[in-house]
Amino acid sequence: MNDIMINAKNIMKSFGSTEVLKDISFTLEKGHVLSIIGPSGSGKSTLLRILTQLETADAGSLELVGKPLFTNVDGKAVYENIAQRRELNLKTGLVFQNFNLFPHFSVLRNITEAQRAVLKRDKDEAEAKAMDLLKKMNLADKAKSYPCELSGGQKQRVSIARALAMDPEILFFDEPTSALDPELTLEVLKVIRGLAEEKMTMVVVTHEMNFAKGSSDEALFMDGGVIVEKGNPTELFDNPKEERLRRFLNTFNA
Amino acid sequence: MANLIFQLFKGLNFSVRIFFLTLLFSLPFGFVVAKGRMSKIAPVRWITDLYIQIMRGTPLILQLLFFYFAPFYIFHASYDRFFAVILAYVLNYSAYFAEIYRSGLQSMDKGQYEASQVLGFTKAYTFFHVILPQVFKKILPSVGNEVVTLVKDTSLASTLGIAELFRVAQTSSSRVFSTTPIFVAGVFYFIMNYLVAKFFDVVERKLDYYE
Repeated sequence: MNDIMINAKNIMKSFGSTEVLKDISFTLEKGHVLSIIGPSGSGKSTLLRILTQLETADAGSLELVGKPLFTNVDGKAVYENIAQRRELNLKTGLVFQNFNLFPHFSVLRNITEAQRAVLKRDKDEAEAKAMDLLKKMNLADKAKSYPCELSGGQKQRVSIARALAMDPEILFFDEPTSALDPELTLEVLKVIRGLAEEKMTMVVVTHEMNFAKGSSDEALFMDGGVIVEKGNPTELFDNPKEERLRRFLNTFNA
Repeated sequence: MANLIFQLFKGLNFSVRIFFLTLLFSLPFGFVVAKGRMSKIAPVRWITDLYIQIMRGTPLILQLLFFYFAPFYIFHASYDRFFAVILAYVLNYSAYFAEIYRSGLQSMDKGQYEASQVLGFTKAYTFFHVILPQVFKKILPSVGNEVVTLVKDTSLASTLGIAELFRVAQTSSSRVFSTTPIFVAGVFYFIMNYLVAKFFDVVERKLDYYE
């Protein structure tokens, strides 16, 4: 099976006069994990936000799960109709750096709310699904807790469960461990690795170089709004061809 | 004394009516004003801002006189005094509530909107189930403050000769040449606000289960 889950071509994005993304193209196969690395301000997060429809692209084209989200017409990104955008929105999930759990809902309800309101699942089905995911995240005993009672690592695992409950076909992570202490980082990365073993298609923007190297199928290095280098992560980390990537990787060995 | 208490209770009846009618209309209308203040359409924003500035920048007592006498001088029409009182209170308090709502809405983390959007909630669902409950908790102490002020502000309706608590106390004070009625009225206001404060305490405690 070689389904292409993400097919991005020549994506451009500016905020005012600042070009944040210049000509971004890449593809991702089903069941693969792609790590996006790069310095702050390189456009990684903006790219992720375009892929998850939190931002709109200025130009270029994008297909998710084989269906277009926007296409390039006369140098402008023209978006599909709302039904299609919504369908693709439901096929993608996003895990945020700062979790963005709903503080007024219990852990269980954080995971059931969208299942019920958006997917129209009934209460029992939604709760069964949530409990399964919580067990998988090793958090079954926290179902009745509120987010403020959890550690950062637990919060992030709840937010992963919340995203998974919607059965996304592609799961995006925006620096999922950047707000966590080192030991909490490990428990979250373990969960993401577990998902990779189950062949979940994932895109992870990360500063965890060991994760990018050891747990992804592909890696992509961005700087200044362009993809400087992409390919097999071992290759990328052990034999960086571009000077900019070499310099970037050196900052982690200091 | 029994007669005094009886008279004061009759006055209290008006005060309580002003209090509840003002809240009934200004709590929801304040939301409309807040929305206008945050509108994307600039003229709507300017007009609402001007309205809020006027309501907050001039004395309520003056507004009461204005809403009662202006229609008379401008249109030679007069209307029920009690109506003018309620109108003035509602418009005044809506401006204050609007600013409280606005600060609550604007202090919401945009991550809450983004998480809702990514999960597929509609805008309306996000507002009513994600944003509003959190804003409600945030603004509760400020709203409580305003409500306590309103209890005391109802006494200003005496300016238009409404026989509310303070007016009744004043009248009987001058009749019996004693300040006792006014002092007793003060105790009435205090008890009312004690109840208001307790009420807000209970609601706040009910929402204590999350941060």
